[in-house]
Amino acid sequence: MSEQTPDTPSSAPLDDVPASPVEAPAVAPAATSSTPAAPTPPSAPTGGAAASQRQRASQLAQALRQELQKAVIGQAAVIDDVLTALIAGGHVLVEGVPGLGKTLLIRALARCFGGEFARIQFTPDLMPSDITGHAVYDLQSEQFKLRKGPVFTHLLLADEINRAPAKTQAALLEAMQERQVTLEGRALAVPQPFLVLATQNPIEQEGTYPLPEAELDRFMLKLRMDYPQAQEELALVRQVTRSAKADMLEVAPLRTLLQAKDVLALQRIASDLPLDEQVLDYAVRLARATRTWPGLALGAGPRASIALVRGGRARALLRGGDFVVPDDVKGCALAVLRHRVRLSPELDIEGLSVDQVLQQLLDQVPAPRL
Amino acid sequence: MRLTDAAVAIRPRNAWEAMDLGVLLARRHAGLLTASWALMTLPVFVLLSLLLWQQPGWAMFCFWLLKPAFDRLPLHILSRSLFGDTPRLRDALRALPGLLKPQLLASLTWRRLSLTRSFDLPVLQLEGLAGKARSQRLTVLGFGESRPASLLTVIGAHVEWALWAGLTALLFLLLPQQVKTDMDWQKLLDLAADENRWLWVEHLSNALYALLLIVWEPVYVACGFTLYLNRRTRLEAWDIELVFRRLRQRLTGVAYLLVLGGCLLLAPLPRPALADDAHSCPIPAEALQPTSKRLTHQALTSDAAHQAIEGLLGEPPFSNTQTVTRWRFGNEEEAEEAGDPAAINGFFEALRKLMLLGKHLEGLAVALKVLLWATLIGLLALLLWRYREWWFAFARRLGRPWPARTASEPPTLMFGLDVAPESLPDDVAAEVERLWPSHPREALGLLYRALLSRLLHRFQLPLKSAHTEGEVLALQRGLDDAELDAFARLLTGHWQNLAYGHRSPPDALRAQLCEGWRALERRGDTA
Repeated sequence: MSEQTPDTPSSAPLDDVPASPVEAPAVAPAATSSTPAAPTPPSAPTGGAAASQRQRASQLAQALRQELQKAVIGQAAVIDDVLTALIAGGHVLVEGVPGLGKTLLIRALARCFGGEFARIQFTPDLMPSDITGHAVYDLQSEQFKLRKGPVFTHLLLADEINRAPAKTQAALLEAMQERQVTLEGRALAVPQPFLVLATQNPIEQEGTYPLPEAELDRFMLKLRMDYPQAQEELALVRQVTRSAKADMLEVAPLRTLLQAKDVLALQRIASDLPLDEQVLDYAVRLARATRTWPGLALGAGPRASIALVRGGRARALLRGGDFVVPDDVKGCALAVLRHRVRLSPELDIEGLSVDQVLQQLLDQVPAPRL
Repeated sequence: MRLTDAAVAIRPRNAWEAMDLGVLLARRHAGLLTASWALMTLPVFVLLSLLLWQQPGWAMFCFWLLKPAFDRLPLHILSRSLFGDTPRLRDALRALPGLLKPQLLASLTWRRLSLTRSFDLPVLQLEGLAGKARSQRLTVLGFGESRPASLLTVIGAHVEWALWAGLTALLFLLLPQQVKTDMDWQKLLDLAADENRWLWVEHLSNALYALLLIVWEPVYVACGFTLYLNRRTRLEAWDIELVFRRLRQRLTGVAYLLVLGGCLLLAPLPRPALADDAHSCPIPAEALQPTSKRLTHQALTSDAAHQAIEGLLGEPPFSNTQTVTRWRFGNEEEAEEAGDPAAINGFFEALRKLMLLGKHLEGLAVALKVLLWATLIGLLALLLWRYREWWFAFARRLGRPWPARTASEPPTLMFGLDVAPESLPDDVAAEVERLWPSHPREALGLLYRALLSRLLHRFQLPLKSAHTEGEVLALQRGLDDAELDAFARLLTGHWQNLAYGHRSPPDALRAQLCEGWRALERRGDTA
């Protein structure tokens, strides 16, 4: 990445950006900056402001990505996906064996993000009111007072979410979908932006409660963290062992790059990105294909189509593009679909994974062209 | 030959027991046998080795060939000692030339490989038979004993090898460690194959063979000899003869007394009077019947008693009548009838008619033949077709230029675009230039289509309709073609701008793209 990181992004909120187009190198679609003959996208005829806003937004997103990559080494794809969810305003479920940096990634994100951050360590005896909050009797005022739970925050890290029983997991349902929590009969809105980042461990089954379908469907992306490459692991070990704090991973040196309203602006800019009908059609076709696909017992619902389009927009912004191309949709399709489908028992017995079947599906559904 | 003088207990034995007796016999005369054998063979061996020093193998072979001749001396000693007349060493050696004379050539040549060699030798040597008489005698003797005799020879060969290997190994074990370090079997074998090999090693191994024969060969001859004795014991009932002889020996003294006593006993018998002859006629049957009234008029007459006895005999304890019921095949009688000549004739008549019919059916047979051949050819063709991939692969491995199979038939319709080369205009660039001012989207679409078509057909990229533009770009990057890469990037970027971003390309681009395409086409044509 050779893009210039804005020095003080938080000092120049995106909402009131002046109409002075920043002469930053435009990023070619689906290409890195090393491209010699990258075409300069012709500037939109209407409003240089929108274009410059978009450019600033994508620069901010890329700066954030760079910052995260400093903390979490060797998980570039997962970082991209988490940023996609952040920009698209969706929740993320991160799955991976212990020790791959799931929690570290989210802590790093919280560190770069100036808003509120709360963390819930899910345990088997956690109660729904521990998440949403409850009314307590105030002796002095002789009244019940509402005490808000940790869910009232911008970034919520739900660590090891499958360790809590279903009733506690269900406490998140309303907050995740409707961005509100009903306490004592009153609907209280959670602050915007609201992003739930949950982690879970796929191997351990003892003492865990698998997430119900409804809960899973509310997560926009389910990410799989895999082991890092050899080179990246070398770098990781080198960096971590240099720290004085044993194997505690440092996120302190990260800079705070954006505030809550910047995130909202990013989300707004992303949702304004132009989307061709063909690309929309492609996203819907992908989601619909899962419902009739022979290897899948249960297909994805309309939420998947929505998530595909939002994810495509977010990735386009992250990539620095001015519009959504099919690659953006296809890039996030696996993360969007993998937790919304269920493998048919025959393929399950044969030992195929959901990812393999979905990859076959992506290889078969024709991409849009004209 | 006096059987009573035999040094062994003569009785019929089985073959293996007889061989065991042979081993025992050889052991009893071991000193004489081994000494005579050594005195006879070792000089011959030394002589052969000296004569054929350069060819140890041939020396060995000659020595081996001479074995039947050597065998005659142990047999001579054994046959003499069997009846207690054990010869002294000097006598035995003196008798050797006489022993060697009969049928020496036959023994050393065509009878050399006979497996029953040790068994046949006594017939030749002790019975002195030759020619037809010998073979007849051997046939009689060999009936039933030739198999153990053959096995004896086979076992003997194995014993020789085992002893030889054992002696060799023993010698090797006796080598000092210092010598052994630079000596291994592989090296020895190489030396044996070498031109200037160690001759003495081979002569040493020959000598080992000659030494072990001193122990083994007399045993072998003795075993064959006892087999022969056993056979004759059975055939000629020597054991019974021996029993009779012993009986006679024991009874010779008392026999005269017995004869005398017998005569005395028989002498005083009174001679019958002449008048007695008149009464010698048989007594008539009637005379035996009771005639007196008292006897014939009793309550139980002889007839009545006879009948009563008959009746008793007919009753259960004496006569048992049983009724047995079982199933029989119903056509058993018919089967017997089939044996009659008329039926047989009828059968052959039917057979003849069938054959005549067969001649008429020749056409059918030809048709059947054609059908079968067609099936076979069809099956072969099916087989070839079924494994055609394998054949192609095979042919390719043979290095024959095989037409590159257009794998998986490149799709003609991709992403809703017709990418078959035929569907494109001849001069793409000119067509693009023509379309550009009025229909920029069509112009760019045509160019992109042409690029895809080129990637598919000329560069044989495995593109699928599921590939997005970005993936196509990534795939063509694998071709490692800088010029193509630059052009494809430029075109794809602008095509995406137009198709998904709805931004028309700048006019300046037209010349650049068309020029790029022409360059690409020129390069492709010259390549």
